[in-house]
Amino acid sequence: MSYYNREGLFNPAYHDSETLEIDRSPSRRSHHYNPYDRDSEPWQRGLTDWTPPEALPRYNEQGRYLGDSGEGNWRPTDHMAMGLVPHPNGSLRWQHNQGSVNAGYQADSAVDYITPPLEEQPPWAPHMGETLRQRGTRKMSLFPGGGVALGRLGITEEDVREEIQSGEQELVKELVAMSSRDQIQAMRVLQMSLQDKRHIRRQVLACKSSKRGLKLTCLTDCTEQVSRSFRRFGASMVSAKQAMTLWHGTIKEIGGKFGTSVLSYFLFLKWLLMFNVFSFVVNFGFITVPQLVQLPNRTDQINFRGLELLTGAGYFNQTVLYYGGYSNETIGDPPAYDMQLAYFFTIAAYLVLCGLSLIYSMARSFQKNFVLSASGNAWCLLCSWDFSITNVKAIRQRQNNLRVQLKESLSEKNQGFHMTMSEKLKQFGIHLGTWFISTGLAAASCAAIYFLCLGYLDSINDSQDSSLLTEASTLLLPFVVSLINLVIPLLYSLLSKIEKYSNPRTQIYVIILRNVFLKMGILGILCYYWMKILSNRITCWESIVGQDLYRLVIIDFIFLMLETFFGEFLHNIIGTKCLPSLGVPEFDIARNVLNLIYAQTLAWIGIYFSPLLPVLQMIKLFIMFYLKKVSLYQNCQPPRRYGRAAQMQTIFIALLFIPSFVGAVSMVAYTVWSLKPSAHCGPFQGLDTTFEAVVLWMERVNILNLPESMWAVWIFHNVIKSELFFYLISLIILVLIYFFWQITQGRKLLINLLREQIINEGKDKAFLLEKLQKLQKTMPTMASSQPAYTQMPQTYARIQEIEPDYEQDFQGLPGIPHPEEGSGPTGPPITSALIQAMLARKQAEEDEEEGY
Amino acid sequence: MGNKQTIFTAQQLDAYQDCTFFTRKEIIRLFHRYRDLAPQLIPLDYTNKPDVKVPYELIGSMPELKENPFRQRIAEVFSEDGEGNMTLDDFLDMFSVLSEMAPRDLKAYYAFKIYDFNNDDYICKSDLEKTLNKLTRNELSEDESRLVCEKVIDEADLDNDGRLSLEDFQHMIVRAPDFLSTFHIRI
Repeated sequence: MSYYNREGLFNPAYHDSETLEIDRSPSRRSHHYNPYDRDSEPWQRGLTDWTPPEALPRYNEQGRYLGDSGEGNWRPTDHMAMGLVPHPNGSLRWQHNQGSVNAGYQADSAVDYITPPLEEQPPWAPHMGETLRQRGTRKMSLFPGGGVALGRLGITEEDVREEIQSGEQELVKELVAMSSRDQIQAMRVLQMSLQDKRHIRRQVLACKSSKRGLKLTCLTDCTEQVSRSFRRFGASMVSAKQAMTLWHGTIKEIGGKFGTSVLSYFLFLKWLLMFNVFSFVVNFGFITVPQLVQLPNRTDQINFRGLELLTGAGYFNQTVLYYGGYSNETIGDPPAYDMQLAYFFTIAAYLVLCGLSLIYSMARSFQKNFVLSASGNAWCLLCSWDFSITNVKAIRQRQNNLRVQLKESLSEKNQGFHMTMSEKLKQFGIHLGTWFISTGLAAASCAAIYFLCLGYLDSINDSQDSSLLTEASTLLLPFVVSLINLVIPLLYSLLSKIEKYSNPRTQIYVIILRNVFLKMGILGILCYYWMKILSNRITCWESIVGQDLYRLVIIDFIFLMLETFFGEFLHNIIGTKCLPSLGVPEFDIARNVLNLIYAQTLAWIGIYFSPLLPVLQMIKLFIMFYLKKVSLYQNCQPPRRYGRAAQMQTIFIALLFIPSFVGAVSMVAYTVWSLKPSAHCGPFQGLDTTFEAVVLWMERVNILNLPESMWAVWIFHNVIKSELFFYLISLIILVLIYFFWQITQGRKLLINLLREQIINEGKDKAFLLEKLQKLQKTMPTMASSQPAYTQMPQTYARIQEIEPDYEQDFQGLPGIPHPEEGSGPTGPPITSALIQAMLARKQAEEDEEEGY
Repeated sequence: MGNKQTIFTAQQLDAYQDCTFFTRKEIIRLFHRYRDLAPQLIPLDYTNKPDVKVPYELIGSMPELKENPFRQRIAEVFSEDGEGNMTLDDFLDMFSVLSEMAPRDLKAYYAFKIYDFNNDDYICKSDLEKTLNKLTRNELSEDESRLVCEKVIDEADLDNDGRLSLEDFQHMIVRAPDFLSTFHIRI
């Protein structure tokens, strides 16, 4: 065995090549029989076992030559295959021998390199046919199912086991070195079966405990125990959270029937519901309960009339539903509960937490979903199948949709897309026109709402009585707002049918953009009215704003229900009974999500003016969930164009953050910092601004001069009140943003370069292969002209007998193209092993040439 | 769930928790789902690790898989014997990979195996054609399906070997954001 050493395998051609060097990290090694994962040995063995057939004649001849020169006692063993590539020394010696005899050595060196074992050939000859056949079959180990094949093939089980064990050992070592948290995570993502994972885990644990045994101290034992109990606690927390998961079954059902994209709407709704539950808990706990504990100071008793449920006025006006229902007193004795501070800090904390969680989920969603955009439709075939769908009808429909989509993409490719100048101009004109119309519509509705607000303000000032009619008239404004919100988006979708965008995604984005403009414009106008006009004219204006918001939320809810009914139910009836061409409505995810975002914006703005508004929002969302579910099941079909649901979800979260949340927060912040709170009601009565409550508190603390609260004063003066701090913070954030932006750009560039590199290397490979082919074609002629071969007729003939056998074997293998046809310059399905072997040979040849 | 203790030992449950993305409760729930497939076959006591398998016919009849065009491939890929007959370990493994928590690479690896019908570790044209037939119910003409397959290989094959290797597939997955949410079966 001394000649047969694996050293030759560390030929850079093998190791630098792309295809086989996919991932050799031990963490991926497994006996799931992934060819990439397997330890290097099997494929190396496979590679070496494999002898290019072209090499065979020479191989035989050489064998014969060498056989003449020295009869060794070499016996074929199972291990022989392991080292077809010689030990450097061995090969040198052999090269020397050969060089002296064989004039054609240089040209043949690459071949020779792979075939030296026949140096000591003769005793082996009788077995040769068998061995060759074995080799032929062993090639299988290069290919799929590798390990299984390995077992079947000549390599002994021991070898396999050894390899696996060494791989395992490394893996275990690596895992032991990790912290237990990482360890579990790493174990979970191992690409092997559960049984093997458990096996590995056992080993890791054993290894750990034996290590611990070495340094058995109470401390390590304790920490181990503590960490284990922590882990158990964490796991039980997770399962408790799962137990509380709302609508698990329903969500699964919707996913099964309508697919992931429709499901994303419901998940979004659920997510918003969680926000509101949290906000309700916080507000109720820290603001409302203390206020209720202190006896309510109701001045006038108004009877409940029923209309209040819609208008939120009258009876509710004096309750804790609105800002006006809270007092500015401190409750309790020395450990006093200051309502002003509680009100301020609760709302501030809620908004800050909301902001953080939004940023977090946005970042996560971006990271997960917003990837380089794919072109073409390869992904559409292999990555778009929705495994969560379980409904027969839905599956059929999805299959049909996919077929249509594929056909469309084929025809698109055939046609090509060309537009003349005039067509382009026309297209541009249409787009300009529709944008003009849509912006005009939005502006007109904003103006209408503004004048309506002014009229409404006059009517409040005029009549101070509380008759039913005046109360009902307050519903006019929210009614108009909701009507606009219902009708204009419909007009927008009609408009988008006129303008034909080549890309359906662009169309969706345009519609979303217009709707966002409209909704945010309306809210902006309303805020302007509340902040600038209402706040100067009316006493206890905060409660009036709260009432307005209450009404907006309620009426919006009613309109959503109506829309669901008319939009989806009637559409379905008409589509199925009267006008089949209209068809069953699709569930419009974008419109529905935008409605949710709008509703949530209202709730966020209202948090300051009506701390219990989240209750309303909670009820609304809860009912909406069931309503939409029923409507979906009864009336709708899944959207025809699917895909990109995840990306849309990211966009929706971003929309919820950037115009919606940021807008609401800036509005609340403006109120708190700049507006004068009403003088006779609410927690901040008598102050110049809401924020003054904090300033006064700080002054009180400062006067008391308690050493333990000095940090708060310091923070207040140096952080919150100092412009320098904010200046610095924004500077740092800007720098960081710029920095990360640059990194992203750099990475994008790098990705493109790497892609190009991969493609180029693929081309390189093809080119080299072609060259090799040519070389091989010229070689047989050279070989035949070599005198060395003709000198040994005996063995040559013998091997000629065996040769057909080998050839047959080789051809008979399934999945392996015959080299002659498979490796033709144009024939792509060349097994990479073949390429590798050839490249290696080429490389060896070049090395050899340099050497000489 | 008084019988929780008798199904698995605490060590077994710990091991399952460490090796899958499931919590204790989910593991028990999955066990019951598994057992419901063949109540007379599966013992209620798993503490002595009985060596039983549920045949593919029963696995494939689960409501989660029943209509899935790839159900047979899924079962084959995740079963130890490669024929779709599953032990409890295989069963847990399958749903762990298909769960929400599993990372992209793990999912991609198994998705690749599922689409690799002839187990040669490459998605070649014949694999693609099979996939296409399953996805469109054989309703594309031969020419069309050939064109589509060529296009897919053309787009996704980066190293020009005429078929898709695991990395080609991963490259593609990275560009298909929906994959994470669609390669997911809720249990």
